[in-house]
Amino acid sequence: MWDLILNPFVTILAWLYAALNQDIVLAIVVLTVIIRFLTYPLLAKQQESSRKMQQIQPQLKKLQEKYKNDKEKLSQAQMKLYRENKVNPVGGCFPMVIQFPILIGLYQAIFFALAATPFQLVDLSERLLIPGLDSLIPLQRMWTPIPQLASILPELDLTLAPTENPHYSLLLPLLVLVTTWAQQKLTMMTTKQKTDKDDDDEDDKPRGGQAQMMQSMTTIMPIMFGFFSMTFSVGLSIYFVTSNLIGIVQYSPQGRNVLDKLFRKKQTDDAPVEIIFEEDEPVKKTRKRRKKKPRKK
Amino acid sequence: MSGMNRRQFSLAICLVLAMLAVSGCVGARMGVSWPAVGLITANGEQNIALAYNNDVAILSPVNGAPLRLISPVTGQAMLDNENNPRSWILHGSDNEGAQFYSLPIVIDAETMIVAANSGVLLLVDSVLLEVKQSIPLPDKIVASMLVADGVLYVPYQNGGLSALSLEDFREIWRFPTEEGVWATPLLVGDMIIVPSIDHNLYALDRGSGHRLWSVDLGGSVASTPLLANDRLYVGSFNKSFFEISLDGRILNRYETQNWVWGTPAIDENGIIYVADLSGFVHALDSERNLAEIWSNQIAERGIRAGPLAYMERVIVASRDGKVYWLDKRDGVPINVREVDGLPELLGDMLLLLPSDSLKIDQPLLIVTSVHDSRLLIAFEVDGRQNWVYPR
Repeated sequence: MWDLILNPFVTILAWLYAALNQDIVLAIVVLTVIIRFLTYPLLAKQQESSRKMQQIQPQLKKLQEKYKNDKEKLSQAQMKLYRENKVNPVGGCFPMVIQFPILIGLYQAIFFALAATPFQLVDLSERLLIPGLDSLIPLQRMWTPIPQLASILPELDLTLAPTENPHYSLLLPLLVLVTTWAQQKLTMMTTKQKTDKDDDDEDDKPRGGQAQMMQSMTTIMPIMFGFFSMTFSVGLSIYFVTSNLIGIVQYSPQGRNVLDKLFRKKQTDDAPVEIIFEEDEPVKKTRKRRKKKPRKK
Repeated sequence: MSGMNRRQFSLAICLVLAMLAVSGCVGARMGVSWPAVGLITANGEQNIALAYNNDVAILSPVNGAPLRLISPVTGQAMLDNENNPRSWILHGSDNEGAQFYSLPIVIDAETMIVAANSGVLLLVDSVLLEVKQSIPLPDKIVASMLVADGVLYVPYQNGGLSALSLEDFREIWRFPTEEGVWATPLLVGDMIIVPSIDHNLYALDRGSGHRLWSVDLGGSVASTPLLANDRLYVGSFNKSFFEISLDGRILNRYETQNWVWGTPAIDENGIIYVADLSGFVHALDSERNLAEIWSNQIAERGIRAGPLAYMERVIVASRDGKVYWLDKRDGVPINVREVDGLPELLGDMLLLLPSDSLKIDQPLLIVTSVHDSRLLIAFEVDGRQNWVYPR
């Protein structure tokens, strides 16, 4: 099944390589940009879904308190709340489920396309879907960042780890680390801004586990990816850096504005629909919750 | 964090982990190449040599068991620390984690040369199975070496070929190529023919290493050419098979369905058998400009190793884990044997004919898989399995 994702990616990468003057680094960068932008609507949907979930958190909390002894009624009330607010509780996961195989497929396509051993090349033989691309094999694996400075910056072997390449290639894991950290930080800031904006006073407290988890991710992920980049081929580091830079653009306010205009309908700031509960009947009627006025300083 | 939120978060984490696990399973293989298998002659006896991953082993053709080490002093079997008989298996783990994809070369009755993939030549005392000397090389090695007239020709994984003196391992000459040399060069008189991943087939002067000619075959060349009727026959990754004169002219070209990686086989009637990585086998007439006699899809997956022609049969082994015996006349499978577990059969095959030096009384077909528990499988000509290594 993975071949359905992988083979088109490998083929497109080889085609881009041919189209871009047989420059494999440029082909990796362009393919990463294309895929990240094509999957942006999914990312936006995921963000929108989590925003809506954040908005109805106070009401969910109230429902949990009210029906703490009646799971059935709680479930009914929650479903009603979701329905009234047009929220799918697992809606944020589906875009992620679709995005993940695509991004992993892209990562693996780069790995396959940069085949440098007999095993890797024999695997590549079944993956090129367009006739004529076979004559490009092996895709160029040696690359000079600045050809004019070839004596100072010798060629990189894209199939080898930075430790097996010229010393300056050790900058790549550092670049991966920094860009991963920046992307994580921006993701966290975006989520925090939304939460702050939507929360009532009573909910201003940090959201315990989730906040801690996100904090840890901001520390762990850059280190993890920096470590991966030390051991994986340099070609994959180029993918990581490009992907992170696009992520930074996607999560930055300016980038989001542009992308929202391109891909998404205008966001509504409508306050969530609130449900009125009575003693015996859990869900009777609904009314629009009044939007809170901003506090004057 | 609300209950639903926590559940959602856990679900997301589980999905991420599941995706990572799945993606890890379909990742590219970490190994370098498939096993190399060939015959090795020492003291008038012929045995099977196998080089794969961490081991180089010398095996008996009779039953596939590794040879026992015999003490030259006592004439008794040599024992290890636990008093078990020692087998002729050179472990990479005892030699700085060396990996082997290149067949050993016998220098004399007591010495062998083994090339480690890391780019080191190991000079091995073949009686005591001890490494006497390590000689560093400029690059990694993935193909088997060639020795002739006191010169060792070493192909490099990332490009080039060196000629080393067997006396002192001094480099006599080195010929660079843009990409790797992944097949053993071929000696033709005073020429050495070098196939390269850089799309070229080179002919070099044996003595000086100077290029005599080269021909661009439009795709990588990863197999040793076949020499027949003073012509070279070789395939490329450009889905093509070529007939080339000994002065470097392409005489004829035949289009295949996919890359050609294995060395072709030729029979006594001049019919050439070529397999490709789409699972096709093609029979071509070498006397009629590579005219197609038949071309059939035999296997579900690609055929990497070159076919073997024996009596009225053509034998091929595929990545689908099956060995096929075809009728030479029309390419129709007469016999198909599945290897247990259907491992990919990627390495070259070996046909052993009965002889005193081999100590076998019937022909044996040795097939190479990439499965550690059945690296070599010996079949009889009728397709019955005879032995498996390791057992």
